[in-house]
Amino acid sequence: MKNVTDSFVSLGHWPSAGSFGFNTDILATNLINLSVVLGVLVFFGKGVLSDLLDNRKQRILNTIRNSEELRGGAIEQLEKARTRLRKVEMEADQFRVNGYSEIERERLNFINSTSKTLKQLENYKNETINFEQQRAINQVRQLVFQQALQGALGTLSSCLNNELHLRTIRANIGMLGAITD
Amino acid sequence: MNVLSCSINKLNGLYDISGVEVGQHFYWKIGGFQVHGQVLITSWVVIAILLGSATLAVRNPQTIPTSGQNFFEYVLEFIRDVSKTQIGEEYGPWVPFIGTMFLFIFVSNWSGALLPWKIIQLPHGELAAPTNDINTTVALALLTSVAYFYAGISKKGLGYFGKYIQPTPILLPINILEDFTKPLSLSFRLFGNILADELVVVVLVSLVPLVVPIPVMFLGLFTSGIQALIFATLAAAYIGESMEGHH
Repeated sequence: MKNVTDSFVSLGHWPSAGSFGFNTDILATNLINLSVVLGVLVFFGKGVLSDLLDNRKQRILNTIRNSEELRGGAIEQLEKARTRLRKVEMEADQFRVNGYSEIERERLNFINSTSKTLKQLENYKNETINFEQQRAINQVRQLVFQQALQGALGTLSSCLNNELHLRTIRANIGMLGAITD
Repeated sequence: MNVLSCSINKLNGLYDISGVEVGQHFYWKIGGFQVHGQVLITSWVVIAILLGSATLAVRNPQTIPTSGQNFFEYVLEFIRDVSKTQIGEEYGPWVPFIGTMFLFIFVSNWSGALLPWKIIQLPHGELAAPTNDINTTVALALLTSVAYFYAGISKKGLGYFGKYIQPTPILLPINILEDFTKPLSLSFRLFGNILADELVVVVLVSLVPLVVPIPVMFLGLFTSGIQALIFATLAAAYIGESMEGHH
């Protein structure tokens, strides 16, 4: 009791002047209460705080994992798209090469057929020219022949008298007879 | 005789207890100014705690935060939340200010409630939470005033002062008065709460040294946290209010 009272009393002795020092009075410095408060705070606060922080950490982990997954998926898709692109490019190359050769072949074919047609046309032309020449020659021949015949007919009708007529007929009959023989 | 001396002692003690005084300060003289040394000392301790723990926490940053970093990131998230709800979309540049306010006040208050400052005796006065002194709280409140003026003027230029005659010019005196009452209420609220808190604890301890002060100390912890939150929230709200506009 005395002890408590003493401490109670000494509580009142505030250092009014002096220098820095340590107050060793446990009750006056409120050490016990402070440690109790601190202990309770740590005891209960620790659980709450660690729960809170664990939740936060878990959330962050989840977010990171999600984004990792998304990133993995995106990379996979990119890879897939790349392989497809490669395949398509290869196909396109093939098509291009094929197309070139096809075109070349087509060209050659076309040139061949054209030259063939050209040759045929040339032939036709030549034939036509020949034909025309022939025809012209024939016409000229016919004309000359007709004129000769007319000339002969004129000569015949101008200087044909009875005797000559008879002679001619005879000659002709002879000729015809020679032909029938 | 013994009893008499004892009772005299007791009376003496009671007299001394009734002399538990506020306003005893440990004065330092710095260039013609008298400063409260005990406040500076505890402020330095608080600043050291904050800087030290922050440095420790961010010394080795990880992608997946470990305990210390996790805690500090949580605190930062909390402060960002507070600023975002109060200021709005452009809360980014003000997070450091709000965070400084909140963390300094919070750690000050809790250091006053949790650290055994009284172990160290000063030649005059006693160590307590820095926010126990009106100079600290007034300084913080004035910083808030400067901050919201700066926020408003940098956002809207001189058009900021147009809000004084909103919604009607009749309210001009009240609006001007508000600029004075804001820091006043901020500083006095914080100062009063913390001082009252610590006084209640001191008085209770001087009356019943054990067990009885403990609930009050818990109440003090609660109030301290709330006061820090209120101060930060109000500062953010003032900044947001001066920045919001009807363009």
